[in-house]
Amino acid sequence: MITTPSDLKTYKKDLKRALQNQFLGATLDNFATAFKASRQKAFEGIDLDTLIAEIAAGKDAAIPHLEELFAAFKARAEAAGIKVHVAHTAFEANSIIADIARANQVKKIIKGKSMTAEETFLNDHLEKDGFVVTETDLGEWIIQLRHEGPSHMVMPAIHLSRKEVAELFTKVTGRHQDPDDIDGMVKVARKELRQVFLEADMGITGANFAIAETGTIGLITNEGNGRLVTTLPRVHVALVGFDKLVPDLKSALRILKALPRNATGQLISTYVTWITGPTPCTSAPDGRKEMHIVFLDNGRLALARDPLFAEALRCIRCGACANVCPIYKLVGGHNYGHVYIGAIGLILTYFYHGRENARAIVKACLNCQACKAVCPTGIDLPYLIKGVYRTILEVEGKPPVKNRLLKRVLGNRKLFHFLLHRAYLAQKPIAKGQYLRHLPFFFSKEHGFRSLPAVARTPLRDMWERINPRLEKPRYRVALFGGCLVDFVYPEQAQALISALKDHNVQLEYPMEQTCCGLPAMMMGENETAREVAVQNLKAIDPASYDFVLTLCASCGSHLKENYSKLCGEDEGIGVKVRQLKDKLIDFSSFMMNVLQVKPEMFVRSGKKVAYHAPCHLCRGLGVTREPRELINTAGKEYLPAKDEDVCCGFGGSFSIDFPEISAELLKRKLDNFEATGADLLVTDCPGCVLQLRGGMDQKSGRKIEVKHIAEIVAADRS
Amino acid sequence: MEKHEQIRLFKDRAEAVQTSVTDVTGLQQAFLYAIEVTKNQGGSTIAAPALGPEERSQLAELCRHAEITLLTENIRDHIGKIQTGLTLGDWGVAETATLVLDSTSEDVRIATMLSETHVAVLPKSRIKSDIMELESELSESMKSAPRYLSFISGASRTADIERVLTIGVHGPQELHLLILDEELTGEKP
Repeated sequence: MITTPSDLKTYKKDLKRALQNQFLGATLDNFATAFKASRQKAFEGIDLDTLIAEIAAGKDAAIPHLEELFAAFKARAEAAGIKVHVAHTAFEANSIIADIARANQVKKIIKGKSMTAEETFLNDHLEKDGFVVTETDLGEWIIQLRHEGPSHMVMPAIHLSRKEVAELFTKVTGRHQDPDDIDGMVKVARKELRQVFLEADMGITGANFAIAETGTIGLITNEGNGRLVTTLPRVHVALVGFDKLVPDLKSALRILKALPRNATGQLISTYVTWITGPTPCTSAPDGRKEMHIVFLDNGRLALARDPLFAEALRCIRCGACANVCPIYKLVGGHNYGHVYIGAIGLILTYFYHGRENARAIVKACLNCQACKAVCPTGIDLPYLIKGVYRTILEVEGKPPVKNRLLKRVLGNRKLFHFLLHRAYLAQKPIAKGQYLRHLPFFFSKEHGFRSLPAVARTPLRDMWERINPRLEKPRYRVALFGGCLVDFVYPEQAQALISALKDHNVQLEYPMEQTCCGLPAMMMGENETAREVAVQNLKAIDPASYDFVLTLCASCGSHLKENYSKLCGEDEGIGVKVRQLKDKLIDFSSFMMNVLQVKPEMFVRSGKKVAYHAPCHLCRGLGVTREPRELINTAGKEYLPAKDEDVCCGFGGSFSIDFPEISAELLKRKLDNFEATGADLLVTDCPGCVLQLRGGMDQKSGRKIEVKHIAEIVAADRS
Repeated sequence: MEKHEQIRLFKDRAEAVQTSVTDVTGLQQAFLYAIEVTKNQGGSTIAAPALGPEERSQLAELCRHAEITLLTENIRDHIGKIQTGLTLGDWGVAETATLVLDSTSEDVRIATMLSETHVAVLPKSRIKSDIMELESELSESMKSAPRYLSFISGASRTADIERVLTIGVHGPQELHLLILDEELTGEKP
């Protein structure tokens, strides 16, 4: 039985326990590293962006027509002799399958791996009805014997050590099993399950594809159990979600190109099986197999009509969104989902398993975009996760206090900036130098893993006219989008920008009516407020008046570029400005390298060794990866690569306040990786990451590496 | 892609998934290979259910000489005793080192899943670079039900215990592909 906490307090207790599981932490970290390399190798020579776009387009074309595809499939399949059923609910699916078993005098059932059967808790139902059910995929068999749910969609038992499996198999076989003889343990499964295969009356599988044109189902497996389950018993039942329908073989083969590569780094899985109609079967009384396909709705057909969430039905269950998730890597699938796990799990749990199971877990998203970047069907997973969070808030009608406050304050720029000005005075008793030395009352001691910066005495907006030179005939007119952190906490980063641009004849402007980009509001599910501030910013900064809109904050930048179009891209009048903003938006490194084309001779060679943290919203959000690293070298430093330098630092805005334990652990791993490079300096290009990394450096023991915004190091060594 | 490049790619990709690939110049050589593999592994039975009458008698003759039991039908009755499953492949795909095998016959499925080793003969002319090249042929064959098509790329494998790759969890522990150069022999299986 799977239990998932419905409140944050219990969930956080579970997370803490998981963080202490050293085996899990090490296993999933190794897995993430290995996966990244093998996936990259598997896609060599393939235009991945085009493939993703084609799969997404194919899915998007099919999703509004699932019922028509079903009708075509049904006609073909019935003509071939398959009995086709529709189950509107999970219970109905289980009952239909139990009825088929009873009608065929079935006692023993074998199963191939099926997430859809996990979704409906099919085994529980069949066992209650008196059938003996045995999972035949090794990982599924292991977790069935342990009475657990899968902790990964592709590798259900990845959370278990060889020792735990050996103990389990010792119990099952009554003979001692050596944990270091994995081959031997696999042979135990081969032997034990072979007998079960031969005795079974009925085989149940899922399907990766249901091809409408031919009435064919497609199954992907590595072990070959899928072929055995569909061959040996006299009855075969496939339980298939409506979302698995594809129009033709071509669509299926296109998905097959991406699925194994993205799931396990294999070019193809060992066995791909295509079944059309009941095949000859010598264990059946009439020599022909009895074959049924049960199509599961369970909300899918309604989801297909949802303007926002229909995208979730593109999912092909590769599991990669878990593999790359920094939180999954720390706590494992049993703490990162319900039945479906990983980023897609946070979304599907709400629709297939309900609010109680989704409420707490859906909060655990850093918005780091790693899942979105790895998704083979291009689902905007972080955006949909926030969408589920917002939906739950709306349905329950009791937004947290912080949401109500944020709505009041952020919706009113003057009030917001007045409060930020006041914060400088309010923090005086607890501020010392650049940090707060005591945490404000609403923080607990768990938040002490990083020092918080003090609010600047003079915000950028108040010094702007004084520090920003006016030029006679500038080459470019550039609006600076500051963002709250640069404006009120780190104005020195903007000062560095001004000095880096000196001699380049670029006229900077700081439109004073600009306000928070609105990302924090969206992260808290307050889309209405996020939309209001977006419009405010588009009024403050008319992109048509500038050559570029530059930002020093990757998070603001990617929010402006990606999310504004989702929030108000369709609005009359505003939509055009959203588009223009998107086209003119640029980050600091790209501006220096691609627009100003700075050269090494413009800098003094300091030769300092510099490690680089790639902000999530720069490398994935804005897709900028080459420029910052080149800029570091161009500006007279030596860039040193670090392990996982593109993995989230754990800041995630309000995430680090809600989940300090996770944030602290992610930060610790980051700082360890940077320390291992031997760098003199750590550079990044997002003030949020600066806050997290610098704050963590301040709290850590041992060698501390100075943390700078990339604009600061570029300004420092101009020749 | 030129034929020889295709074959080279096929062999490279096969090696990466522990599939053994050998060139043969005729069916006789392929049959002798299967017999030798069977004997080397200490086995005494070959299941070859989908051969034409001529090939079957040719193989039967060779098996008799080598004291190997040849099964050609009712394979289910011999589960647990099959050392080698021998098949004639329908297509090959170089990009993924895949054998495409029409497995509509239950005997073929049992012979290729419940044997210790699967040996398949693949005519050179039937090898394509990419699976997409077979889309229309496969789609057509799916239209005539019942049809059970298998893509087989390597031996049965799992990584379900601590992600350690282990070969031979349910199906055969070895896959041997014999690439038959019909141009050399003029033979056509």
